[in-house]
Amino acid sequence: MRYTAYLHSTNTGNVNSNNIRDSHNITVNVNKATADGDQEVMRWLSPLDPRGRHQDVRTDRFDGVGTWLLEEKEFRGWRSMEGGADKAVLFCHGNPGAGKTYLR
Amino acid sequence: MIDSLCNEPSEEGIATAMFYCDFRDRQEQTTANIMGTILNQLAVRGGEVMEYMGREFQQAKKEVGGRGLRLPDMVEMLKQAVAALPRVFICIDALDECHPQHLLDLLVSLKGVLQDSPRTRIFLTGRPQVEAQVTRYFPDCAIVPVSPRVDDVKRYLENKLDRDPGPGEMSVRLRADILEIIPRRISEMYVRASTGPTSCIILLYTG
Repeated sequence: MRYTAYLHSTNTGNVNSNNIRDSHNITVNVNKATADGDQEVMRWLSPLDPRGRHQDVRTDRFDGVGTWLLEEKEFRGWRSMEGGADKAVLFCHGNPGAGKTYLR
Repeated sequence: MIDSLCNEPSEEGIATAMFYCDFRDRQEQTTANIMGTILNQLAVRGGEVMEYMGREFQQAKKEVGGRGLRLPDMVEMLKQAVAALPRVFICIDALDECHPQHLLDLLVSLKGVLQDSPRTRIFLTGRPQVEAQVTRYFPDCAIVPVSPRVDDVKRYLENKLDRDPGPGEMSVRLRADILEIIPRRISEMYVRASTGPTSCIILLYTG
């Protein structure tokens, strides 16, 4: 159940939480759907939570923009997981404003 | 990228984790904290991983004052978490915004994870200047240069024009000219700016 609730929150961008401090990445997120003990463990692991920033990206992105990457052979090779560790990393570089953050 | 990976209907077994590096949060975005938030995302995707984290946490609490996590602890836990999941994708955006020392630690840590779980897939983005660091640790990585695509700029403009609060003020001809000329010019300008002797970058359409 916890798993499902978190997925819903992530996929819809509905961050159903009490944020102790709100910023792009630095948020101690107390997800209501997560058990108290799990919250304690998650806070112990890291104070960072990228979901707020991710939601900003999803909101700002226009449909269809950045989809070209999905057709690139480098992406398809990486995505297929057929290679071993030597095929494990895909690095996309570009100058500011090139659209790196909005690739999909 | 994360959404594309998550939304494929045939890929229910995959676990994804993402992080956005940010100049403004450099102090808090230590390698250990980045590893920690990746772990958090993987933990909620698999009950076994969360149980493992819980045991580690309880063990740490038994020590005087509660044991804080060091980077090697975090990397070891991430290795365990990744190994417990069938398929893992880790996406990290804007490596150039990471503190230089943290970036090196991050790449070393990710390399360690890959050595133990070579089926893990890591997606990285950053400005061209971090390519040397990335290829230092991942010499065989696939590299894709990103620049504005004519179709993307056109799509963006169409979207904006469709939401124009005063559509009657623009002629059909002007709209057609905007959609024809601007995407082409922007791409040309970008190529010149990014390959010229001085880096004069124009913020185009997505920030």
